[in-house]
Amino acid sequence: MNRISSKIGLVAAALSLHVGGAFADEILVGAEIPLTGSLARVGAGMHEGISVAVDVFNKTNGKHTIKIVTADDESAPAKAIAAVEKLAGDGVVAITGGYGSNNIGPASDAANKLGLPYITSGGVAENLTERGYKTFFRINNTAGYQKAMVGLLETMKVKSASVVYSTKEATADLAKDVEKELAAKGVAVTLHAFDPAITDFKPIINKVRLQDKPEAILMVGYENDYVGILRAAKVLKPKVKAMVGVWSLATPKMASDFPDLMPSVYGTALLPFPAEFQSEEGKRFADTYMKLYNKAPDYLGQFGYVQSMILFEAIARAADAGTLKKGGIAQELARTDRQTLIGRVQFSDKGDNLNFVHRMGQHQDGKIAIVWPADAATAKMNFPGVPW
Amino acid sequence: MKMSKTGLAVIFAAYVLVPLLLGSNSYVMSLIVAAMIIGGIALAWALLGNLGGMVSFGHSAFFGVGAYVSAILTMKAGVPVLAAMLLGGVGAVVASLAMLPVLRLRGPYFALAILAYAHIFKILATEWTSVTGGSAGLASVPRFPTLMGFDLSSKTGSYLIVLSLLLVFIAAYRVIRSSHYGIALRAMHDSEDATRVVGVNSTLLKALMLFVSAFMTGVIGAFNVHYINFLEPDYAFSGLWVTLPIVAAIFGGYRTILGPLVGAVTVYLVDQLIFKNLIPSGHQLILGALLVAMIIFSPGGLMPLLRKGTRRKHAAA
Repeated sequence: MNRISSKIGLVAAALSLHVGGAFADEILVGAEIPLTGSLARVGAGMHEGISVAVDVFNKTNGKHTIKIVTADDESAPAKAIAAVEKLAGDGVVAITGGYGSNNIGPASDAANKLGLPYITSGGVAENLTERGYKTFFRINNTAGYQKAMVGLLETMKVKSASVVYSTKEATADLAKDVEKELAAKGVAVTLHAFDPAITDFKPIINKVRLQDKPEAILMVGYENDYVGILRAAKVLKPKVKAMVGVWSLATPKMASDFPDLMPSVYGTALLPFPAEFQSEEGKRFADTYMKLYNKAPDYLGQFGYVQSMILFEAIARAADAGTLKKGGIAQELARTDRQTLIGRVQFSDKGDNLNFVHRMGQHQDGKIAIVWPADAATAKMNFPGVPW
Repeated sequence: MKMSKTGLAVIFAAYVLVPLLLGSNSYVMSLIVAAMIIGGIALAWALLGNLGGMVSFGHSAFFGVGAYVSAILTMKAGVPVLAAMLLGGVGAVVASLAMLPVLRLRGPYFALAILAYAHIFKILATEWTSVTGGSAGLASVPRFPTLMGFDLSSKTGSYLIVLSLLLVFIAAYRVIRSSHYGIALRAMHDSEDATRVVGVNSTLLKALMLFVSAFMTGVIGAFNVHYINFLEPDYAFSGLWVTLPIVAAIFGGYRTILGPLVGAVTVYLVDQLIFKNLIPSGHQLILGALLVAMIIFSPGGLMPLLRKGTRRKHAAA
């Protein structure tokens, strides 16, 4: 019996030493992220970026060390709340992560209740920033995607466009905003909504081909939707000059999985593929990414990296000022103003990034070229051009 | 209605010991509340199956309608949250009126028809933008109020609300089952034709059970929306609101009253607290294997298995 209790004592002593050590050196930061469920792939991509940010920060900061505690929210709102509460129980000082506005909403609500700053790039729904929380920050928004889509069409000088969009929140918001702006600029726009569950887009594309006869088709949806729309368009061959999408389209994965559907298709992209970085930070990011994951970074990793790096720097400033547990992190985040891998980041009083503008990429010969805006372009736009 | 000493002890523990011991751990409390939400739907689902012989795949319709009615009433008409929750249940009953024609169907046909209704309500919630907020949904849905200085929107407060709801549902289920309607309903479960021959109006009884089950599910949906403070069509009418409760009910034993609740709490808490620690992503694997084992070795569920265990112990003593 004595032997057992002495062993327990030893284990307890070892544990307390370990915990004590952890608190003395490391600042714990929570990552609430979908690693399983419908958002697992994008969640994993963002998580890679977060891990790269930890590695780079810990090597370059010199004074403070960040340790990430990850909680899988299983792509479900109730579990996202539980994940945030678990992380708070673990003693994290802030949270980075979140994907899907429907998970980010309740999770950041819970974080706000607990007084934990929450930074994300995974949800662009308007109502997230409308709540006016002082603890909520995001580095991307619908307006940035809208500027990119509209900017590209202006450069193309098209006079008519058909918008095919999913009725989900973020996609419907974006489609309607794009329509309004294009209409104000004198472009004839027609809207075609589709239920996220449908897989056969031929009826919609046929309507576009026979009725609208636009110069460009804009697709606002997700990976499976793009594939369905492009397949239908390849069969029906509408006489358009460009097929333009948004997120999750101009990616290396789409280029390799669907080589017949992607040529000349446009989508938002921050990076060309293969990735090229000019800045020192960009090179360090790409090198660390390659070292940790043995692959070139994609946009999910880039967003995850930027949001986490901004947070870690704010934590370091708050720790130096001695305000880590007194609301200092949120105040420091609000003061952020710096050039990042996605451009300059500054937050409005609602926590939205004021300067966010996306770039447009185009699938060219199995690669992704940035074609808009002109100052970031890595290649000439292949226009007019369609996959068929 | 008699209650055993064990029953009273469990209720006492649930009301006093759980908040005292776990109240400060908001993570565990939020898992318990989530498990009880699943348990509430599982109970309502099992009631319809046990006392009416109807297998429903469409309980997410009642859950979603209850949630939307309550959220809209509080946000747009200023109805107090607790009253709106009950009206959410009434809303689900009204929605179930639309389902009356499919009561003539049986077995898989009924199950599929009611699933279609769930989809119709989801489309309504998406398209009726002026009222429901469309696919953007409703954010910042009002929380539970503070009553006599006690914040019901806290974890412990929410737990006590859902616990009380479940106890009322259990009591109602027991009253119905022990009434002479309950005998007729259980007989219908085995042979509807035979019960009709002895003069039971089976369609009326089935409709009444559908209303009761819809009401319970609607109230739980309404509770959930004020607890999560957020609602969108995909979430409100998600298929998970019916598959998980079915799993829980079958795991616990859907022909017993407590089985669905015990099943939900076991399935959810064991999965989240133990399996998730063992395998952080992919822990559902163990749960799946456990379910298969349960169905093979005790098709009646966990409750009959436990009872068999205690009986054996008594016999040995």
